[in-house]
Amino acid sequence: MTVAWAAGVCDGAHAAGITDVVYVPDNPLSFVLREFEQRYPAIRLVLATREEEAFGIAAGLYLGGRRPSVMLQSSGLGNSLNALTTLVIPYRIPMVIVVSMRGDEGEWNPVQTPMGLAVRPIFDAIAVPHATVADADGAAQAVVDAAAHAFASGMPRAVLLPRRLTTS
Amino acid sequence: MTRLEATRLVVAACRDAAIVASLGHPAYDLFAAGDRPRNFYTWGSMGLASSIGLGLALARPDLHVVVLDGDGSLLMNLGSLATIGLVQPRNLTVIVMDNELYATTGGQPTPTASGADLAAAARAMRIDEAVTVRTADELIARLQPRAPLFIVAKVTESKPTLKPPLDYVGIKDRFMRAIARPAC
Repeated sequence: MTVAWAAGVCDGAHAAGITDVVYVPDNPLSFVLREFEQRYPAIRLVLATREEEAFGIAAGLYLGGRRPSVMLQSSGLGNSLNALTTLVIPYRIPMVIVVSMRGDEGEWNPVQTPMGLAVRPIFDAIAVPHATVADADGAAQAVVDAAAHAFASGMPRAVLLPRRLTTS
Repeated sequence: MTRLEATRLVVAACRDAAIVASLGHPAYDLFAAGDRPRNFYTWGSMGLASSIGLGLALARPDLHVVVLDGDGSLLMNLGSLATIGLVQPRNLTVIVMDNELYATTGGQPTPTASGADLAAAARAMRIDEAVTVRTADELIARLQPRAPLFIVAKVTESKPTLKPPLDYVGIKDRFMRAIARPAC
């Protein structure tokens, strides 16, 4: 079964020349990962045990000449901040960060709400530009745009996938 | 064996390798042992040196990647051992300079001082070739002809006096240019 928004994320990553996706899985991202496996097997998927580790692996991939993306649930942004602020940003290591949102509209588990509300202010505070995908039709272009800006500027960019999109 | 002596042995034995050093004293000693374009000095991101090395090893299977980690640093990111054990890269060597101290922050003992065994942890995570060495001869023997995946080198503190420049982008750009061409 193809899920339109997930197919869009993968189409965008492929069109943008993303070579490797380092991920910590969550339920919505499972659709994205399945789509990569079925339609874009040349894009390498690398499982990390924790989000901070994923950013380290992605940084190494970039140093070696690849075009990486990190995909994570928003709850993992908190434990990624040291990697972002002391490695990715000061060394100017570009990558596309795809965030599966929790704690936003439609959340069933209130434990997710504080970080859900904080994701955009956190990205703003560390000057990582971010875009939110409003509907499935816009998913591919959001990833393409983020990658173009990231790799042109040498800085990370984030694409946020709200629950209204991923659970629709 | 001091950490600086061990670092000099690694640099001499792995001339063509890309070397990623953990922040603080491991990076300072790598700089002192031999600054070279194929050195990547981290200045933050404690715990991530082995993750950076893994990403680099995946990106460049033709390149020997050596990570100089610290015991305190690796303990911040033990999940990295599970990921390395999962991926099984053939071109990655992680060397933990285990002085059993948080030396960069003032010498507080780490859990390895009380017997925490990082090589055993690596083996438990399916990094089969994981050893602990205590002397220069043992380290040299393990570095030739090709190092195993994971070496814990028990070292004493070497009190670095030199530091690499705080030029993060310069470190990265020089490193990427150096590994983009064949080793001489």
